[in-house]
Amino acid sequence: MIPDDATLMAYADGELDALTAKRVERAIAADPALADMVAAHRALRDRLGQAFGTVAEEAVPARFAAMLASNVTPISPPVAPRPRRWIEAMAVAASLILAVAIGHQWQSGPVSVSGDRVVASGSLDHALDTQLASASGDTRMLVSFRDDRGSYCRVFATAAVDGIACRDQGQWVLRETRSPLHAGATDYRQAGSADAPLMASAQDMMKGDPLDAAAERRARDAGWR
Amino acid sequence: MAAFEDELLGLVPRLRRFAQALSRNAADADDLCQASFEKALNARAQWQPGTRMDSWMYRIMRNCWIDTARSRTRAAETFLPEEAGLEIGDDGARAIEARVGLGEVAAAMDRLPDEQREAVALVLVEGLAYKEAAAILDIPMGTLTSRLVRGRQALMATLGEAA
Repeated sequence: MIPDDATLMAYADGELDALTAKRVERAIAADPALADMVAAHRALRDRLGQAFGTVAEEAVPARFAAMLASNVTPISPPVAPRPRRWIEAMAVAASLILAVAIGHQWQSGPVSVSGDRVVASGSLDHALDTQLASASGDTRMLVSFRDDRGSYCRVFATAAVDGIACRDQGQWVLRETRSPLHAGATDYRQAGSADAPLMASAQDMMKGDPLDAAAERRARDAGWR
Repeated sequence: MAAFEDELLGLVPRLRRFAQALSRNAADADDLCQASFEKALNARAQWQPGTRMDSWMYRIMRNCWIDTARSRTRAAETFLPEEAGLEIGDDGARAIEARVGLGEVAAAMDRLPDEQREAVALVLVEGLAYKEAAAILDIPMGTLTSRLVRGRQALMATLGEAA
């Protein structure tokens, strides 16, 4: 048997059945030119794999991470306008009241007050410590990043509260919180209006790109230090 | 709850690589990603959980590429030398090496007819089995193999024996 180019290529790609592969091997053993051809196919495959592989190793650009993490279908313009300052101030004030209320209500609630700081506690603290953005569940981590001081920050969504928490002196300090929006009685979560402003805030706080899955895992394993 | 977004987010690195293999330059590749992700989010109801999202996304991206590639002129080629120069100015030494290598390969890919380029991108860049690639492109196996053979021969001729 003298294999044609398609057969040699399929052999180089590991696409032949065992019997045909054996025949090709016998032909290759008898003809160095065929062996060269197979080597050339493999070399081309390696070269393409390496050349484009660099793209797959790059961190996910922030705009794609935000687009896919925020559950918002972008309609142009893709970035939601920033709320006015006073609305934002009121939202922060409201969230502090919420946080204090929750903190007082349950000792093991998701949020508590430590000195003059509002910090994550209980299940939220645990999730911020351990949960990766790839995990699904009632509490989700939408994106992790470093702020301009180099601290790790995470955008989270829970049944009770959504927000951004940053690592500071061994605690997750809540920088921003919002009430989550639930779509009626279904458990399908339309995160759009609650998460889009959060993601915009995260973009503003972020230095560089969000952590990709590998970097997030490394940061977690190192205790977010 | 957000399993769809999570899974899609996990595919982004591979999809960016596929987009780069199809597109002339990095900017076009990211535009193609943006268009494909928008389409996927809008069509999320059509995706059946439990099926392969990567195949579904490759198909969406390939269709987006065909839509835009047909309307796009090949004038982009004119901008290549300038763009390559800019990239070299911006990047570190290792990145330069990688990008220059990519530039040569990408230029060779760009000379392939679309149907050969998409076959090469799925099998040689994305590492899919022939059967999977043929299913995504909706063509018989024999058609896929002949496009692959021709695409590879052209690439070997362009990139040289030392491939």
